[in-house]
Amino acid sequence: MSSTIVFDAETIPALTEQKPQTPWGRRTGKFRLVVVLAIVIPALIVGSLFMFSTLPGAVIMVAVYFPLQIIATVLAAISVRGTKSAGDAVIIVSAIGATIFSGIVLISLLWSIITKGIQAMSMAFIFQNNEYISPSTPLGYGGIGHAVLGTVLIVGISALIAVPLGVMTALYITEVRGRAVPYVRFFVQAMSGVPSVVAGLFILTVLILTGVLNNSAFAAGLAYSILMLPTVARTAEEVLKLVPEELRTGALALGSTRARVALRVVVPAAKTGIITAAILGVARVVGETAPLLLTALKNDKTVLNPFSEPISALPTYIFTNVAQPYPDAVLRAWGAALALMVIVAVLFTVTRVLSAKRPGK
Amino acid sequence: MSDVEAPVLRDLQSAATSHRGDRIFNRTIAAAAFTALIVLGGITIFLGAQAIPVLQQQGLAFLTTSEWNPPDYGIWGMLYGSVLLAIIALVIAVPASLLLSVFMVFLAPKPLATVLTNLVDLMAAIPSVIIGLWAFYVLAPVSEGWQQLMNQYLGWIPIFQNDSGNFSGTPFTAGFVLAIMMIPIVTSVTREVLGRTPPELINASEALGCSLWSMLRYVALPYGRGGLVGGVMLGLGRALGETIAVFFVLKIVFDPVNYYKIIESGGGSVATLIVSKFGEASGPYETQLLLAAGFFLFMMTLVVNVIANLIVNRTGRLQS
Repeated sequence: MSSTIVFDAETIPALTEQKPQTPWGRRTGKFRLVVVLAIVIPALIVGSLFMFSTLPGAVIMVAVYFPLQIIATVLAAISVRGTKSAGDAVIIVSAIGATIFSGIVLISLLWSIITKGIQAMSMAFIFQNNEYISPSTPLGYGGIGHAVLGTVLIVGISALIAVPLGVMTALYITEVRGRAVPYVRFFVQAMSGVPSVVAGLFILTVLILTGVLNNSAFAAGLAYSILMLPTVARTAEEVLKLVPEELRTGALALGSTRARVALRVVVPAAKTGIITAAILGVARVVGETAPLLLTALKNDKTVLNPFSEPISALPTYIFTNVAQPYPDAVLRAWGAALALMVIVAVLFTVTRVLSAKRPGK
Repeated sequence: MSDVEAPVLRDLQSAATSHRGDRIFNRTIAAAAFTALIVLGGITIFLGAQAIPVLQQQGLAFLTTSEWNPPDYGIWGMLYGSVLLAIIALVIAVPASLLLSVFMVFLAPKPLATVLTNLVDLMAAIPSVIIGLWAFYVLAPVSEGWQQLMNQYLGWIPIFQNDSGNFSGTPFTAGFVLAIMMIPIVTSVTREVLGRTPPELINASEALGCSLWSMLRYVALPYGRGGLVGGVMLGLGRALGETIAVFFVLKIVFDPVNYYKIIESGGGSVATLIVSKFGEASGPYETQLLLAAGFFLFMMTLVVNVIANLIVNRTGRLQS
């Protein structure tokens, strides 16, 4: 092609006036009418059912509104875009339905925790222990102080064990890079599937039934660390991988040993990420109940010695107060649930803030 | 071009590991890296050691009969119940999670999708004891009403039979609770898998005139099939091992085994059996029985998890 064709906007006036055509986005009067009908007709039918029938609202929504809305959307789609679009209509309405369903579950959960938990809250409830308190004692006396301390003690012990081991496992995968890397990764994944009750049984059979440890905070911390380690190891591995390879080769070129590269260059560079990994590990275990029921049992007193005697934590406190015949005891369970949820929410927010910062490091 | 050969990184590494401090560092780290193997092996050996005398005394009947009356013990009903609950949970959670992730990846505007991702992660972080508390006081009464309706209108289908008129402590409610706990776990994997569908493929299918439905059916789902199956199986592993949330809403029944009547009161779950019988265990022998039950629970979840991880790994690494 020796001659070039020049499109001059002035010679083709249509080009200056027209936008690119998007036939799929054209909204004709018919389209608008059909969309309005597909929304209004099911709503009208369901609205009249709400007014004139005795069916419960939830039944109307699930058994009448949801199928009706799918049919209406399918008909609307067919009339505008042809039969091929019927599948789209079903998917879109069901996807929105599934999202709303999950949203309702989450809102119901949070709403009941907050509204019921707040009724139990008081300074006494947060700071006192449960000594001399029976399920029928009114709410003004006794509380979760001992359980909060127990949770802090047990989770702290497990973090002291699991965080170093988890970070070292991640260092093996990213820094040492030995031949066993695929196997180590595989075992860590398999370990993340250990049911919490099995972790409790393991500590029970190895250390408690053999008489090495009492039912105590330390035993519970060991059980928790089994659950915490895989989470820490996998998250730490992800963040250590983000450390640029140039930092490692640069340090090596300056004459540093591999050990110094790992401990003085890579780990400090990934500091925020490793803290995130530790917090995620803590959040993973803080509400686990089954291992506590097998290893720490429960105790109404405040216990500070991690080796001496059984100890309560927030999950066991909730567990013992659920299904009590006394309304105040049940409110105690909700109050402890609110306290636990606040702890989880704080940990969750901290990890979000830290990992949002990470790319800038 | 230069004639000098740059030493490759491997040589540098092996040169460096000749340093004594490095050898100590490497061995320490390698030893720590095998904690996972030691723990898994320890669980297998120590719980297995408790299971052997139980199997010697009870015979295979420990696995094939359903009874908890001294001197005869059998956990068949519990093993079967765990699987039944997991199936109910899967039937509810898999479509819900898939649709939820389709909404987040393909339909929702970006800001809404980000908010939903965070909410799903928050849902995953809610401790199971809190979900159990909620299920006992909020969900279970609602669920009873729905089960009565299902029995009234769909009672001719065998799975919706109910002869006792008692709708509390049913496998359906327990399975539903498990589904609620599975949805965030499965969704976080399926969302990532669907989000990894190459945009060229999506654009190409749209250019060919595919609707959303045919794009999902012929492009996104086949492309992410391995990851989707693996994600579901990870959720299944969680459901099999879940203890506390089920404890509050399921009535443990040994005999007769509730095989299919999912809205009839009474069912089984190995994990829940362990916690509910541990407190009232009459002696060392009953504790040993529970440890043996724990061994079989561990084996069941280990198999499911290993298969799930193999599938997920084969399709590329995913965070979960």
